[in-house]
Amino acid sequence: MHKKLLAAGVLMTVAACGGTAAPAADAAKGGTLTILSNQDFEHLDPARNWTMPQMDFGLRYLYRSLVTFKAEPGAASLEIVPDLATTTGEMSDGGRTWTFTLKEGLKYEDGSPIKSADIKYNLERSFAPELPGGPNYHKSVLVGAEKYTGPYKDGELASIATPDEKTIVFKLKRQVAEFPYYTTLPSFSPVPKAKDTKEQYDNRVFSSGPYKIETYSRGKEMVLVRNEHWASATDTTRQALPEKIVVKQGLRQSVIDDRLIADQGEDQTAVTYADVNGESFAKILNNPKVRSRFHNEIRGCTDVIAMNTQKPPFDNAKFRLALQYAIDKEAYQTVKGGPAAGEIATAYLPPALSGGTPHDTLKVPPTGDIERAKQLIAESGVSTPVKVTLHSSTGEKNAATALQESLKRVGVEVEINSYDPSVYYDTIGDTSKFEGMATYGWCQDYPSGSSFIPMMFDGRTITKRGNSGNVALFKDKATMDRIDEIYAMTDLKAANQAWVDLDAQIMQKAPMIPLLWERKPLLTGSKVAGAFGHLIWSGQFDYATLGIKK
Amino acid sequence: MILYLGKRVLAVAGVLLVICAVTFTIFYVLPTDPAVHACGKTCSSEQIALVRQEMGLDRPIHEQFAAYVSGIAAGRDGCAFPCFGYSYQNSLPVWDLLTDRMAVSVSLALGAALLWLTVGVLIGVASALRKGSALDRTLMAGTLASASVPVYFTAMILLLVLVQYLEFLPYPDYRPLTEDPVGWATNLLLPWVTLASLYAAMYARQTRSSMIETMGQPYIRTARAKGLHERTVVTKHGMRSALTPIVTIFGMDLGGLLAGAVITEHVFGLPGIGQLTYDAIFKADQPVMLGVTLLAAFFITVANLVVDLVYAGIDPRVRYA
Repeated sequence: MHKKLLAAGVLMTVAACGGTAAPAADAAKGGTLTILSNQDFEHLDPARNWTMPQMDFGLRYLYRSLVTFKAEPGAASLEIVPDLATTTGEMSDGGRTWTFTLKEGLKYEDGSPIKSADIKYNLERSFAPELPGGPNYHKSVLVGAEKYTGPYKDGELASIATPDEKTIVFKLKRQVAEFPYYTTLPSFSPVPKAKDTKEQYDNRVFSSGPYKIETYSRGKEMVLVRNEHWASATDTTRQALPEKIVVKQGLRQSVIDDRLIADQGEDQTAVTYADVNGESFAKILNNPKVRSRFHNEIRGCTDVIAMNTQKPPFDNAKFRLALQYAIDKEAYQTVKGGPAAGEIATAYLPPALSGGTPHDTLKVPPTGDIERAKQLIAESGVSTPVKVTLHSSTGEKNAATALQESLKRVGVEVEINSYDPSVYYDTIGDTSKFEGMATYGWCQDYPSGSSFIPMMFDGRTITKRGNSGNVALFKDKATMDRIDEIYAMTDLKAANQAWVDLDAQIMQKAPMIPLLWERKPLLTGSKVAGAFGHLIWSGQFDYATLGIKK
Repeated sequence: MILYLGKRVLAVAGVLLVICAVTFTIFYVLPTDPAVHACGKTCSSEQIALVRQEMGLDRPIHEQFAAYVSGIAAGRDGCAFPCFGYSYQNSLPVWDLLTDRMAVSVSLALGAALLWLTVGVLIGVASALRKGSALDRTLMAGTLASASVPVYFTAMILLLVLVQYLEFLPYPDYRPLTEDPVGWATNLLLPWVTLASLYAAMYARQTRSSMIETMGQPYIRTARAKGLHERTVVTKHGMRSALTPIVTIFGMDLGGLLAGAVITEHVFGLPGIGQLTYDAIFKADQPVMLGVTLLAAFFITVANLVVDLVYAGIDPRVRYA
């Protein structure tokens, strides 16, 4: 029986067909938007793009995916709408098959039509070891994907079918109600086989979005101009207001901050790409004119301390729980820049993934509960003083020192090991070398606990090297079983609640200590319109709506 | 002369080969695994192994080194001569990245060098000729202060005063000389002054001591006794000899700067080789770091060779053996 279901839960809605969303009231079409950046893009190839601000840039300007997120501020930004597809997907076969149909009139920058086979081809590219780094949610659910190594060596992946130029069908190993969220990622964007330049595609993507690359000198400057073949009638999300977009790279962030604060000449139509420096907060917040151009949205990321749960003393769950009470999160928040830098985290899942309100199971005061911590340590049988190691990157030295001070209060003597950022994640991700504790963070890829909890706490995701998710090496059968049960749910609302409940259960087992839900501090010039931090893109400006004021 | 030149060129090649081998080995033993970086988040061990194989990192170090050196000499696998490999970050040929940034670093280095050489030598000569005077003491105190201030501090002060408060100059934003000569000079003025303020101070002090020593030599006294004009004594007999050590350090300093002034380029956001180096270090992009290291070594060794050749023009006592 072919049972057709509308997979959309409360967050999945289908927008009205045709016409682009209305631009900000003070925005005009035309002008040049300048993006001032302290860095080059890591990857713009849609098979490799998996960093939030870059996904935002790529997906809003250069390529479209089957489904995308609404370009609206606040909770509305968590809703998905069709992009290249006509709907957010149709589920069948008990949730193991998903079908999408492409809209009419979709074209690339050269005027050639966008075909479903091009989306299949890009997904296949994402498996190639020549093109690493991209999202991998689809890799774990597509049938036959375990041994597949991409189109260059293995030909086609049979579990992605394109019966005609408009239809694409995905065959999954298990029921995945959240599959439409996966299709918001750049891997589900089209790349025509004839335009594939393998590794070099990163430097010149073939546009299916409203802009195309005119010039790109890596680390220096990128200039985007309009893709004349993009039709606004097919796109309900992107406003494509500026005539031209110039990305200036390699600038120092403090200089970018100063330029935007000074707001002179061309900088009036500029925005920062990376976070405003903490040192610039005072200059911004104390000047009402500048403050009105300041944006500081929650990122959807959680800073944590991960404890190696497989080695003493952190193999003792009660001792780990004691540290949940011992940490002074307020002190950590202060050294990170105060409330403007982030909110104190009381759960692993950021508020956007727990219905918009922060979840708090343990109800630990922001400065900690020393008495309770000491009581738990006594119950754990770990004798104090106990010496432990805390790994952190050199840029986090002050934050590590704050954590060291707070643990000293309960007889835990912390030795800080600082590493250069370039080797830090290799070090803590090497399971044979990692001992003690480490600070790191995780960000959502889409608004569901499934982009968070399994990545951080599923013992089956642990890898010997490059172990970047479950750094705590947490292998708990009850947690893994529950993850599988939630995966099998078809009711997304119930699944979302189940992730929140599981989060609360894991908090009691304490493989990690949540510290801060970071914010994304950004600044614009005075003539920039339509700026807001998008909850999905880690609080980055939604490039779909940025324009120049009338 | 030709034999001498041939020997020196071979020596330069030998030095570069040793530097290449040492740097290559250092990167090989670093704890960083480029395959892990490239693979991204939550990659399985199997995926990382495939990426490592694809990047050629599973081969023994001597094979990787041999492929690297032969690539520089003759190109390899579609990577044209001189092939310095591909960036781990953006898959572009390292040589293309270096040449793309070269104009910025060369503009910065040559402009600053002209400035510091002129100002430094003039101050040094003036101080030496007025040894012990108020002018000498003032100039030397100024150069001491200037040499004591780190480059980044000078840069910050200049930015704060000339750009932010007085709005006398724009925030440096590099423009190619061929497209906008005025914009090129205007936007490089601050970086030039920043670099030159440090080097000019050192050159002034070096010139002063060298000039004082030279002007005390018997042949200077003889020149004066023969009735030569003081200007001729100073410029033709004094400076010519006193500048020999200046030429030596100038060659080395300029050679080093041509491969990028990391701090200055970073502070002013100039997209030169120094900025490329800075990014490569933070992203563990070893092929780019290796390329920059070899380029710097090349410039310094070649500058050293050129300096030796220039000696003959300045000091007739020098002969090629």
